[in-house]
Amino acid sequence: MAMSSDARRRIPGWLWYAFFTMILWGLWGSVSKILSSRIDEITNQVYFTVGLLPLMTLMLYSKPADGEGGMFAGTFWALLTGVLGGVGNLAFFRALRAGGKVSVVAPATALFPLITVIFAVVFLRERLRRTQIIGLALALGAIYLLSV
Amino acid sequence: MFSGWIIFTAIALVLWGLSGVTQKLATNHISSQLSFIWFAVAMIVISLIVALSEPIHWRIGSGVMLLAICGGVLNGLGALTSFCALESGGKASVVISLVALYPLLTVAIAVAFLHEALTGRQVVGIVLAIIAAILLSLDGEQQASAGK
Repeated sequence: MAMSSDARRRIPGWLWYAFFTMILWGLWGSVSKILSSRIDEITNQVYFTVGLLPLMTLMLYSKPADGEGGMFAGTFWALLTGVLGGVGNLAFFRALRAGGKVSVVAPATALFPLITVIFAVVFLRERLRRTQIIGLALALGAIYLLSV
Repeated sequence: MFSGWIIFTAIALVLWGLSGVTQKLATNHISSQLSFIWFAVAMIVISLIVALSEPIHWRIGSGVMLLAICGGVLNGLGALTSFCALESGGKASVVISLVALYPLLTVAIAVAFLHEALTGRQVVGIVLAIIAAILLSLDGEQQASAGK
């Protein structure tokens, strides 16, 4: 019992969720890879959104908690996240249609965490530790190399 | 001055990067489930606009269609767990950098199941990604032991 609570303290909840995200998006990346030669990106984007519907329905049925207040602000930021993600996807497809090579556009856009970090430091006042800065630099290098 | 594709690439980079920050801001106010619902609403609206304004190839094989929808489910689940990671106290700068390492798994799956050969560049990327993931995770351990 003490062992499991120790383990829980060692690995925070957010880290588990982050690893689950990595696995799910890694699988999604493989599916996208298979699909890339079979359908165009715009059609994929539309069918991809159909895949969000069952999850959305499930969330609605699970009666989601409101959170800790600021319903209007929270809704605004969540909607904006969807808009930024969706319009970002369209801009990515446009870049490819406008003559950008996948080998250049994909690794360049994959470096988006750099923008997140800059804005998180400036606006959310998140502090970066030394290990975090090294990890971030290596992550950006890895993301670039793996996306080429 | 700039080619069209460079501008679209920059737009995708910035919008995806900003979405990491707005995700955190959303979960600061409302639950991860509600955040996901509103995020999905925005994505659905964008896809509807795209479906009405762009030529969509609706007549695709049922296998390809199912795979594309599965891709949406996987990506949606990943979006949900990333909201959970941020709601559970993960910093946007760390969580987004960590989850953006998902190509590591995509490459691993491509090698294991699609029998693709690893390039030297990918090997370096994998090594960097693993070190980066460990360093970013270690930061989480420090946060946890500091009583975050």
